[in-house]
Amino acid sequence: MNWDWEKLQKQQQGRPGGKPPSFDDFQQQFDKLKKFKLPGWKLVLPIIVLLWIASGFYIVEPDEVGVVKQFGQYNRITTAGPNYHIPYPVESVLTPKVTQIRRVEFGFRSVGRPLTQAFQQGASREVKEESLMLTGDENIVSVQFIVQYMIKDAKNYLFNVNDPEQTLAHAGEAAMREVIGNGRIDDALTTGKQEIQVQTRDLMQRILDSYNTGLSVVAVQMQNVHPPDEVIEAFKDVASAREDKSRFINEAEAYQRDVLPKARGEAAHIINIARAYKETKVRKAEGDAARFLSVLTEYNKAKDITRERLYLETMEEILSNPDAEKLIMSRDALRQSVPYLPLDKLPRQPEPKPAQ
Amino acid sequence: MKKTTILLGVGIVLGALVLTSAAFTVDQTQQAIVIQLGRPVGDKSLGPGLHFKLPLVQNVVFFDARILDFDAKPEEITTTDKKYMNVDSYTKWRITDPLTFYTKVRTIQGARARLDDIVRSQLRVALGRYTLIEVVSHKRQEIMDAVTLRSKELLQPYGIEVLDVRIKRTDLPAENARSIYGRMKAERERQAKQYRSEGLEASAKIKATADKDRAVILADAEKQAEIIRGEGDGQATKVYADALSRSPEFYEFTRSLDAYKRGFEKNSRFIMTPESPFLKHLK
Repeated sequence: MNWDWEKLQKQQQGRPGGKPPSFDDFQQQFDKLKKFKLPGWKLVLPIIVLLWIASGFYIVEPDEVGVVKQFGQYNRITTAGPNYHIPYPVESVLTPKVTQIRRVEFGFRSVGRPLTQAFQQGASREVKEESLMLTGDENIVSVQFIVQYMIKDAKNYLFNVNDPEQTLAHAGEAAMREVIGNGRIDDALTTGKQEIQVQTRDLMQRILDSYNTGLSVVAVQMQNVHPPDEVIEAFKDVASAREDKSRFINEAEAYQRDVLPKARGEAAHIINIARAYKETKVRKAEGDAARFLSVLTEYNKAKDITRERLYLETMEEILSNPDAEKLIMSRDALRQSVPYLPLDKLPRQPEPKPAQ
Repeated sequence: MKKTTILLGVGIVLGALVLTSAAFTVDQTQQAIVIQLGRPVGDKSLGPGLHFKLPLVQNVVFFDARILDFDAKPEEITTTDKKYMNVDSYTKWRITDPLTFYTKVRTIQGARARLDDIVRSQLRVALGRYTLIEVVSHKRQEIMDAVTLRSKELLQPYGIEVLDVRIKRTDLPAENARSIYGRMKAERERQAKQYRSEGLEASAKIKATADKDRAVILADAEKQAEIIRGEGDGQATKVYADALSRSPEFYEFTRSLDAYKRGFEKNSRFIMTPESPFLKHLK
């Protein structure tokens, strides 16, 4: 048909000449094209139509859903497997991945880490303007966390919000700051993490649902929560003070455990010495008594002679001592002599033995 | 035959031209209005789907039908307790009435300017009524709700619906942050001191108790020891007494002799007269 139309134009134009050469060239080219196409066009058209029809087939992967639009308007949801839509320009299809869990980072950025790998200290860079937050007791804390989310409603996700990911990032930041702002710094740093995560997740979900984003927050995970660098030393010192406290107490208890058994040992020692004294004393007495009684038995048999013997033996022993000075004077001489006490020789005091 | 085919061809081409300039689709994410000579036609906007207009005289203006985001620049705000804070907020909004929107605001940029004005001033007013800590914690939701409500009222005449004004960040200017850091430090230092002195106190108590217990144990032992010694002395005395009372005079005699022996062992000087019984045989 088209070619007839061209011919007609040519006939109508019917110019006698004086045309620019370029037009001639064009004309010739056109004729050639015409001659080339003429035999084929009846064959080409059905192929084009077939291709157009075939372009309506599409595959929805298991982790996707198909969302079909008819003239731009949402029409239907299709599920996994091969599907068909009326080809362009009537219908078009979008296939968002709905089972995939995505993650977004707050307060830090991972450096060269695949998403599947667990969080590691040092493999990330803190973003201070995102991580520093005010707490309800007017302290500042640095919170780094991730949010895992997925698409729960493909239709809402595709059509309701102009940038769902950006919306989620905003909501995450606002929610975490609100929750942290309602709590105390010690909750965030120690025991309250679980509670904060749950509250943040719920608040985020409420915010996202209020915009109908079609997103579902799977989890909020606090990764690294620490006091700001400016005060971290003071916080560490509190921890070490707590350690010190228990160390002091342990040391004191160790002292106690050391001293008391030793004291008990010492006590046993003291008592045993006393027992030894007692036993010694008693036995000595018994020995002495036995000896006395033996001698007494013999003494009673011959009183006078034994007395005499004992007396002489004793005197002999005393006087045979070379150290003892002996002096024998008559009673008269003794009476006439001046008693004289040489003070310079005081250690050698005379001890006049009382005469019996 | 030739004529009809020619006419048919012309018809198809023209038809196609008219159709493409008359038909248009509105995507699920869009809404549209038809403009004729600079004025909107009809009193309703067009939703997603296939629509027609008059070619050449009418044209279509598309608007986003989705919820849009307006992220305001952080702004310094003074709270009622005269503290400064940087408040960063975002607003979620939507074009609900494209006709009004087109006549009053015309473009997204225009809308942003309006949003910026209104949200900013509303935030300023609302935040100025609370203290810093109220803003940060328990009054946050209340403030956001109030600002959202007021902004919603003020922007409705422009065909705009404000869904949510939300405070994203509340940060302190550097010097306020510094003073907070100072306070945090002081608090922690106090805590550390307290822990250490509690530790020292407990330790001193334990040690003192241990020392006391030790003294008591030893004193008890000494007491026991004296009692035992006494028993020993008593028993010994009894044994001596039992034996010696058999002949006191003999004991006295022998014990005296023993005492002489021991007593005159060193540095003794004996002056004896011949009358001494010991010397009776010297005569």
